[in-house]
Amino acid sequence: MKDFYLVLKNLTRKKMRLFLTVFATFIAFMIFGTLTAFQKAFDSGIELSADDRLIVLNKISFTQVLPIAYANRVRAVEHVEAMTHLNWFGGYYQDPRSQFAMFAVDAENFMEVFDELVLTDAQRQAWIDNRQGLIAGQAIAENFGWQVGDRIPINSNIFSQRDGRTDWDFDVVGIYTGEDPQTDTNSVYFHYEYFNETQSFGGDFIGFMAVRTSDPSLNEEVIKSIDDMFANSPAETETVPEKAFNKAFIEQIGNLSLILTSVVLAAFFVILVIVGNSMILSIRERTAEIGVMKTLGFTSSRIFRMVLAESLLLALIGGVLGVLASGSLITLINNAPIQLPVLVLDSSVWSQAMLFVIGLGFITGIVPAMSALRLNIITALSRS
Amino acid sequence: MAGFFSQIWTVIVMNILSLPRRAWMSLAAVFAVAVVVAVLLAFLAMAKGFERTLAGTGSDNVAIVTRVGSQSELNSVLGRDTVNTMMTAPGIALDDNGDPIQSSELFVIVDGVKRSSQTQANIPMRGLFLDGFDLRENLTIIEGRPFESGRNEIVVGKGVQNQFEGFDVGAEIRFGKTSWEVVGVFSTGGSAFESELWADAPTVQSQFQRGSSFQTMRLKLANPGDVTPIKAFIDNDPTLNLDVQTEADYFASQGQALNGIAIFGWAISIVMGLGALAGALNTMYTSVAARAQETATLRAIGFSNTSAFAGTLAESMVLSIIGGIIGALAAWLFFDGFSASTLGATFTQVVFTFELTPELFANGILLALVIGFIGGFFPAWRSARVPVVTAFQGVE
Repeated sequence: MKDFYLVLKNLTRKKMRLFLTVFATFIAFMIFGTLTAFQKAFDSGIELSADDRLIVLNKISFTQVLPIAYANRVRAVEHVEAMTHLNWFGGYYQDPRSQFAMFAVDAENFMEVFDELVLTDAQRQAWIDNRQGLIAGQAIAENFGWQVGDRIPINSNIFSQRDGRTDWDFDVVGIYTGEDPQTDTNSVYFHYEYFNETQSFGGDFIGFMAVRTSDPSLNEEVIKSIDDMFANSPAETETVPEKAFNKAFIEQIGNLSLILTSVVLAAFFVILVIVGNSMILSIRERTAEIGVMKTLGFTSSRIFRMVLAESLLLALIGGVLGVLASGSLITLINNAPIQLPVLVLDSSVWSQAMLFVIGLGFITGIVPAMSALRLNIITALSRS
Repeated sequence: MAGFFSQIWTVIVMNILSLPRRAWMSLAAVFAVAVVVAVLLAFLAMAKGFERTLAGTGSDNVAIVTRVGSQSELNSVLGRDTVNTMMTAPGIALDDNGDPIQSSELFVIVDGVKRSSQTQANIPMRGLFLDGFDLRENLTIIEGRPFESGRNEIVVGKGVQNQFEGFDVGAEIRFGKTSWEVVGVFSTGGSAFESELWADAPTVQSQFQRGSSFQTMRLKLANPGDVTPIKAFIDNDPTLNLDVQTEADYFASQGQALNGIAIFGWAISIVMGLGALAGALNTMYTSVAARAQETATLRAIGFSNTSAFAGTLAESMVLSIIGGIIGALAAWLFFDGFSASTLGATFTQVVFTFELTPELFANGILLALVIGFIGGFFPAWRSARVPVVTAFQGVE
């Protein structure tokens, strides 16, 4: 414990230097915490995708449509528990530049397939009963200020009604949340029948299908049955697990995680150099002192431990403060009115950060600690 | 007065020449600034490259007609009747036979495999007539020949060929059940069209079940940049629910998609810059402390405290500029001309090249200078106030 007191005294000997090195560490860990939360949010689309859910697409591209007749044939495939079809609507509310994810779906089966979306039974029934009803995710409803009971116009940037209008009237009948805090609630769903009967470009086509299988281990079998069924037809299908579909979609944007990881690495590198240098300098300034301590009977290994403890403590203070700050930053970002996935700072970020703290403290302390360990008393005292 | 400046100059030179004595500490400051500048420039070069690619794509001489509110070519649909009506609009340039110079086009998405990640990504495929080639500036067929009408042939953009697998001339490509032959490669001088596959419009209509509909029309303008007569024509006809804008405006608005990246780059760099600033301050305070006796001696023999201030500030700025230049050079070496592709506004891959312009370079150096100035100012202040009596004491 006495040693700890000495470590603390050594650390606070030059207040300005302590402040600056802690600040540099603080910055690095704040960047780390925030960017890791971003990366986790992007990955959550992949991690939260259900293992027993498959997506059936047109083989040419997901923007090519499929005939509606496929829906009943897929539903009849063995081991298919539930099936809904979805059409991308290209919806926007008031401002054409802020497009959001809006799909025309088979409402009765929809909640069976996407069972992670939470809607009260009353709202669910209200949706099924109201052909012009839509359900919106909590995030998007808050964003646009929609309440259950509102009647709102939504435009499509793809489709138009038979009379040439591009806006449709909807009743907001339900606002859903997710089972997991990171579940995406930025989407809107409405009735396929309403869409199919009012839009003007020939009807009876669907965008893609989402299928829930009775068990993930049967996925391969179901994929094969579906794709074989439509092989050599004018619209061949490609069935993929939802996880693979989401992953491919995110990868289209580019290698986001590579960019984020490089930035975090760059930040750590800068801090490593600054803190490491500072440590080396402060030990070198204390050469004579260490000589005196050794003369007094402090063993070399004890001094080694003290120097290492000093650098670990330095990293720990900056690291904890930095991750705490990123927590407040994340709260701020989550509350900002922008369409972003929900950022969460969970224990895995903390444990990863603490690992980096130990690494940083060790790497920056090892060189000065080694030189203190090897220091010869005579050289040390004569150098002053 | 001359003496005042020569004093300052002497101290600056002295400080800088003595840098090697504090080599490690100085290198740390230089390195920190270099990394911060390199990170900033990497992000800015990415956003700039994307913006330039799209801005370079649109022409002021061409108007693009889409369905009202569709925002992008992908979402638009134009029926055969609409296309025919639009050909009679005023303000369109006419060819030698008195026919309007126009191109009716389709825009569909197909899958390709990206070379870099071996994953599937969306490629735009444009159906057009050979007349449409004349509406693109700087178009050259760099290999092979254009497609022939009525055949399943495609010409591929240079960008597609670079970023995706299997688009060599002579290759056979399957989209769903249909198979296509690559017959040529085209270049449009680095614009976004190079991210596309081009094929015969009626063939695309039949192979993708589009009936007789198109998605967009390009019209050569009689007066470059002037779409008002066409707009007036559309407004007067209640059956036409269309938007018209110059192609330059259309692509300029799509080029803003990566502006968020530039803002993110600035935010990250400024935060990291604060870290580097802490490093610079650390270095300079150490340097001032190490030179306290020297400074006091200079003061004792008649040097002003302004010269001590200027000396320290100059040392800090020099270190930062060196760091800034190293960072900028590293960014230029690694990122300038780096080719990448990302998802653009039409849900398809846009191939673009990172561009480190002199203007961005200046931004990087400016950031380094700000770090150097603030990092030097406070230690310089302390240096200027070293009491003369220190000269006659031992250090510390």
